[in-house]
Amino acid sequence: MSRDLDLEQRYRRVLRLLPGWYRDRWEEDMAATLLDGWLTGDPEADEHISKAARPEWAEVASVAGLATRLYLGAAGAPRRYFAWGQAIRRAALAVILVHAAAGLDVLVLTAWNRRLFGLPAPPASLVTASPAGAWPTVFHAAGYAWIAVFVMLVLGHYRVARILAALAIVPDLVFLLQGQFTGTLPAPAVGPWAFWVLVNLVPVAAMAAFHRDAPPTARRPWLLALPANYLLVVVPLLVLRATGNSAWLPDFPGLCCILVALACMAHAPRAWSRQADGSGVWSLTLTLLAAVAGAYRIITLSDYLHDPHLIKVSLAELLILAAAAALLAPDAARAQAATPAPPPHLYPDPG
Amino acid sequence: MTGQAFFVLTALADGPRHGYGIVGEVAELSQGRVKLKIGSLYGVLDRLAAEGLIEPDREEAHDGRLRRYYRLTRDGRGALAEEAELRAATARVVRARLGLTGPAAAGAAG
Repeated sequence: MSRDLDLEQRYRRVLRLLPGWYRDRWEEDMAATLLDGWLTGDPEADEHISKAARPEWAEVASVAGLATRLYLGAAGAPRRYFAWGQAIRRAALAVILVHAAAGLDVLVLTAWNRRLFGLPAPPASLVTASPAGAWPTVFHAAGYAWIAVFVMLVLGHYRVARILAALAIVPDLVFLLQGQFTGTLPAPAVGPWAFWVLVNLVPVAAMAAFHRDAPPTARRPWLLALPANYLLVVVPLLVLRATGNSAWLPDFPGLCCILVALACMAHAPRAWSRQADGSGVWSLTLTLLAAVAGAYRIITLSDYLHDPHLIKVSLAELLILAAAAALLAPDAARAQAATPAPPPHLYPDPG
Repeated sequence: MTGQAFFVLTALADGPRHGYGIVGEVAELSQGRVKLKIGSLYGVLDRLAAEGLIEPDREEAHDGRLRRYYRLTRDGRGALAEEAELRAATARVVRARLGLTGPAAAGAAG
């Protein structure tokens, strides 16, 4: 019997991947089902199996997948997990929206530079070279791929979106690794790596929150967000560049801080009214985005150590972001209790 | 309704079953095409229970472990019948469009 516990203990170790509240409800049943799959009822054979057998990788992977779905807000998950799952999904969508708008920007500029649809010649500051050779073409394709990733994600084609997103971040990684090994990246190269990790890798990893048990995304507002983002963010930036006022443009980490700060301030009245349903999840989402934008800004400060003015500007951006995010902190904290309750469960919590 | 949920409900249609019993029945019903892993099975059971389509039936001791049996609820039986009808209707349409002969195609034509 003690040897029987060996296999059982191995299984229970795997089941520890699951949240505690779920284990309280299902662990005994899951362990029994897993052991039923191995044990034969013959004491001698079972003793040998218990000693030698290991949980199959497919079983471990399925438990890990279930754990991911539960931690990131599956149906029936407690409010806290549901709120975090929703916030991570929205934050990932927001970052991917920025990528998609950038892809749209490249698409529009390419069309403009080629004078498609009878467009006039672009101003000199917006003239871009047509991609020649394999690499530039790959980078352009990766930029366009984000548009497809965003649309697929909103429409619920999660697997396609994940595959496309994973492919879209590869060219940047190859470029960074190549630059690192050939010495073509300017030292200390913190900014490009921070961009790749925080703006590429993290949202792609966060796409794990779009699982089969996740509630569907509100299609209409998110699909409308793409042209809105293009018109309200990208076009003003284009105008600044086209009119020779690029000096007014913050760098990308600074732009992220300002945009997230503006979003926080726009949401603050709802967050403080305490009457708007679901405002807390948006507060949590924006707090998450502020954390990522703040981390990005802090990490890239090292790029400006030679210029005290740029350091001051960056710190000001950081301060504005922190103040704006602080406005939402109480609502974000409440979100974990205020999110609508999940469906009733089979078993009540023990005790 | 997902394919896995459909098979799990079908496995419980003729009586209560415990977790491993459901895994075996689903494999048999699907002729080996659907092999439920533990994470998938309990994800489905959890969801079906939350939707009120299944409920616990009883617990039995077996080799020192407790086996929990599940059964269909009235809603679960209704949902399964509805899904089965939907799938059968779809299959009839497909067979008719493919020009396949047999009772299903004849039923669709009639």
